[in-house]
Amino acid sequence: MVTLTLFVTKLAAGLSRSLGRGGGQALPGLIADKLDPHLAQTLSRGLPKGVILVTGTNGKTTTTKLLAEMLAAAGERVLTNSTGSNLKRGITSALIRAADWRGRLDYTVGLFEVDEASLRQVAPEVSPKHIAVLNLFRDQLDRYGELDTTAAMIGEGIAATKARIYLNADDPLVASLARYADGDGRVTFFGSAVQLKRAGTHETVSDSDRCPLCHTRLKFSQVMYGHIGHYECPRGDFVRPMPEVELRDISVSNLERSEFRVEIRGKRCDFNIGLPGLYNLYNAMAAMAVGDGFGLGPEVMAGAMRSTQAAFGRVERVEVEGRHVVLLLVKNPAGFTQVLETFLIGRKQAAVMMAINDNDADGRDVSWLWDVPLEALAPNAADVVCSGTRATDMALRLKYAGINPAVEEDFGKALGVLMEQTRVGETAYILPTYTAMLEIRKLLSKTTQIQEVWK
Amino acid sequence: MKSIVIAHLYPREMNIYGDMGNVITLVKRLEWRGFQADVRAVEPGRPFDFGSADLVFGGGGQDSGQLVVGDDLLKRASELQAAAKDGVPMLVICGLYQLFGRGFTTLEGQEIPGIGIIRARTVGSGVRMIGNVTVESAFGKLVGFENHSGQTVLEPGQDALGQVTKGYGNNPESGLEGAVSGNVIGTYMHGPVLPKNPRLADHLLGAVLKRRGVHELVSLDDGMEVKAAKVAAGRPQ
Repeated sequence: MVTLTLFVTKLAAGLSRSLGRGGGQALPGLIADKLDPHLAQTLSRGLPKGVILVTGTNGKTTTTKLLAEMLAAAGERVLTNSTGSNLKRGITSALIRAADWRGRLDYTVGLFEVDEASLRQVAPEVSPKHIAVLNLFRDQLDRYGELDTTAAMIGEGIAATKARIYLNADDPLVASLARYADGDGRVTFFGSAVQLKRAGTHETVSDSDRCPLCHTRLKFSQVMYGHIGHYECPRGDFVRPMPEVELRDISVSNLERSEFRVEIRGKRCDFNIGLPGLYNLYNAMAAMAVGDGFGLGPEVMAGAMRSTQAAFGRVERVEVEGRHVVLLLVKNPAGFTQVLETFLIGRKQAAVMMAINDNDADGRDVSWLWDVPLEALAPNAADVVCSGTRATDMALRLKYAGINPAVEEDFGKALGVLMEQTRVGETAYILPTYTAMLEIRKLLSKTTQIQEVWK
Repeated sequence: MKSIVIAHLYPREMNIYGDMGNVITLVKRLEWRGFQADVRAVEPGRPFDFGSADLVFGGGGQDSGQLVVGDDLLKRASELQAAAKDGVPMLVICGLYQLFGRGFTTLEGQEIPGIGIIRARTVGSGVRMIGNVTVESAFGKLVGFENHSGQTVLEPGQDALGQVTKGYGNNPESGLEGAVSGNVIGTYMHGPVLPKNPRLADHLLGAVLKRRGVHELVSLDDGMEVKAAKVAAGRPQ
């Protein structure tokens, strides 16, 4: 049965690719679901070091990439799924593509990013050895529903396995997921102890500032960003757990990279990463926590981290007509706010393109743009051009934030405007939603060197 | 003139789907006309004098948020009812629209009493009504995005905000969306509703200023508002 299913699904993937329908990313998994719904289970048993899953609202792709490089540096042969294929069928597809006709895999470990709502379907199938949960922010409420519901779905996935669980101690809702992991010693927390002295921190809508147990408003002694910080329930029902993997000091932090110190189970280690922004340090912390749990040494992790490039579309740097263009994916208020704070607010501003689509993969509701503190951009706003199916919604949001943007729904034309606004040698930023990012990368790939998306 | 006071009901609990954008819109459209706005948060358990409010706004929230504010809202029922009777303009969206009605019966049969300013009842359902919505109303064609599972039925004599031309509205059967009761407007429309429906925003602000003795509302350049509304109305449900 395995061979037959593999034959059919591999054939379908090949056909789909040769017909030019995307990369045939999820199709094999879709067909496998019908022919042999437990194919993923069968195939993943062939991975001697098991499966690692990474989930959470923001940072899945970057964390997965960091971890993949760490594992590879330690000599592991790592099977991953490509971003955008993080539902069950996408993971099944990755396994099918990697397997030979008899279902054998030439990999030692599977590392998959998993959509928050899909963990409960994926986890029981692939019996992961490790699950990391990064954070939970409001995201595509038209698809996921409420944040509490998403948390409960992740909890279900955790409860269905015997995996080691790695949780963000600084996100109260994520930290509270420990209650789904019965049994002692199965949970590792990661977090940050760094006192932040950042300028340009803005009050934004807090996505979950209530006690996950009794719903009393939490007291925060420190806020890193959004609802990520140090907190306790005033009624004593819940308190930030002590992290075993903790950010202790940031010595360098600029638009290119960060240097920082982490304490891993009492041992201090120095790291250097080619990614800017505190949110990426949390991703690094998650990757290190899992790496440590997997048995990787700090030197191996540090070496891999130094050389890791951003995942595509996430702080991705491209040269276009002599200009430095930086792609910064924005999917939800928390992520958009982090991008603004890291790259734009309070800095000498570069030209910016905001590319907002409302396709299914973006979320069809664009209300969330009003939860982004764009007012903070107004004092030193440079040229902004809005693009995408909802360019006008973005432009309207900016109008009420005191910024007067140009509007070009067509990405090609908007790119033209951006290039006009940016001098040769200078930097421009593109802030796209997911499908806008794919379309813009496709456009850019015609004129410039850019890594192929379907890789 | 003294600042226009906007009472924002439970901004920390009821702030889902960008409903904050409605407050931003009200404030900006006042400022662009030379008026100052003073947004004051109504927080659970904290005293608030609705006698000082020129306008009351409340948004939608998660179930957990609704649970927290439900009891608190009941304690303020008589004050809010008096303000509504007095003609204080109010806009309530989704979750607070439901609680401004007679009450909400959850899917599990639990009764959450409302404050009865709007003569309507809401019943929980297993179906989520999600998507772009357009409505023909006294304020022209309105556009928004709905995301609710509660089905609201208006009592006889209770006016709706308008007729649904795309989407669900109050419930899948009636073809009606929202409710209008004097200067109180309830709706399921996020989007948020006011930025892309400036006529609705100005209706509320007109009523606010009229009570302050200002009878003329200076018109604004709504070019971008109208363009965005047109694009939104053209998107599939």
